[in-house]
Amino acid sequence: MRVEFRLPSLGADMESATLTEWLKQPGEHIHRGEAIATVETTKGLIDLEAYEDGTLSELVATPGTRLPVGAVMAHLEVEGGAAPAAELNAPPPGAPAPPAQAPPPPAATVRAPQAERVRLSPAARRRAHELGIAPETLAHAAAPGAIVHLQDIERLASAPPAAANAARAAMREAIGAAMARAKREIPHYYLGQTLDFGPARAWLTQHNAQLAVGERLIEAVLLIKAVALAAARLEGFNGHWREGRFERSAAVHVGAAIAVRGGGLVAPALLDAHAKDLAALMSEFSALVTRARAGHLRSGEFTAATITLTSLGADGVDVLYPIINPPQVAIIGAGAIRDAPWAIEGRIEVRPLLTLALAADHRVTDGRLGARFLRSIAELLADPQRL
Amino acid sequence: MDINQIRTRLLALLRQIAPDIEPQSLEPQRAFRDQFDFDSMDALHFATAVSEAFGIEIPERDYPSLMSLEGAARFVQSRLGAGA
Repeated sequence: MRVEFRLPSLGADMESATLTEWLKQPGEHIHRGEAIATVETTKGLIDLEAYEDGTLSELVATPGTRLPVGAVMAHLEVEGGAAPAAELNAPPPGAPAPPAQAPPPPAATVRAPQAERVRLSPAARRRAHELGIAPETLAHAAAPGAIVHLQDIERLASAPPAAANAARAAMREAIGAAMARAKREIPHYYLGQTLDFGPARAWLTQHNAQLAVGERLIEAVLLIKAVALAAARLEGFNGHWREGRFERSAAVHVGAAIAVRGGGLVAPALLDAHAKDLAALMSEFSALVTRARAGHLRSGEFTAATITLTSLGADGVDVLYPIINPPQVAIIGAGAIRDAPWAIEGRIEVRPLLTLALAADHRVTDGRLGARFLRSIAELLADPQRL
Repeated sequence: MDINQIRTRLLALLRQIAPDIEPQSLEPQRAFRDQFDFDSMDALHFATAVSEAFGIEIPERDYPSLMSLEGAARFVQSRLGAGA
């Protein structure tokens, strides 16, 4: 049967996206999980994935045009026949449902595609992204109607970057919109817990000593796994708040906040983090960071996260008080690990300390359960063999 | 390979990881993370790239030496010298 492929919402803050290119052509067979098209959002280039097997029958949207969320992009012929159109953009089994598709905003609120039909070569587009330049601002980079090539971008990059500032402003606006919604709608409560990271660090040093450089783990991966295991155990922190109620997710997809070069951040998901071993998590996290910074994440990674972990890294501060990323209901902020005095069995020793801060949604849980959640993470890190 | 060649090669590896750095303004003695965004994942990617490019082993305890351009150049030079 014929079904519609619509532009999915890739976050609470997303209203529209510009179709960059079709990766498949009419008549081509598509497997679930395969990228069909690339769209440009304030979070970078994103590959839209098919959630069902089928054959691409008709392309509706034209590259270069800006589309509101929910717009029909293409038609597919799906085997089996019974799947309703609405499920085409549903996530694969095991993943949480994507945010309810907002109705397309009224035409008047969609910015007119005046200068957006700028054509870039793929290399130029990637480079523009690395530099944080929005393609629609590149109309002047080449002769009218001509394709903008890599050398045009490099030439612009050596000039003062007014365009880069515009892209940064767009991402800042998107972050602002999502965080304003979080602060407006979610009754946050905050809890903090400091723990001795020494056992985890000692275990990691010993573990890494036996491995080649490319196979070593970083501390963040232990933290991701500990958060995932604790979230799987305690109900009320892992899932989404939708239409007035909490929808628990059995699988834990940990959103990892990743700073984007030039400013801004994204929090794509590490899928099924609770069920993966540390080596697998490490290699996925490494690839995710690389793709996030190259501006090339997949659509599923944006909507799948069921809880988020954020950190400012080794240069960070002692405590990071995070803001929940809707529609999630909890987020953990990790401070920088620092050497400080710590009481052990009546003695004072200098230990590497880590302070975790939990922000959770009071519509779902209370502080008592939140405290258990944080303690559970601390216990796992104290006994890293269990990770 | 002299130290200037090593430096040039290191800079190219660094730019693959952090394309936003400007080689002209990079201070060779100063730690990368004091000059631009450079987190633990970048450090690992850089160590991996250096290890592969020069064919040298880099134990984790030596990461701190790699965290500035000059430090990394000297580290690589000593390793290449030791292996020769």
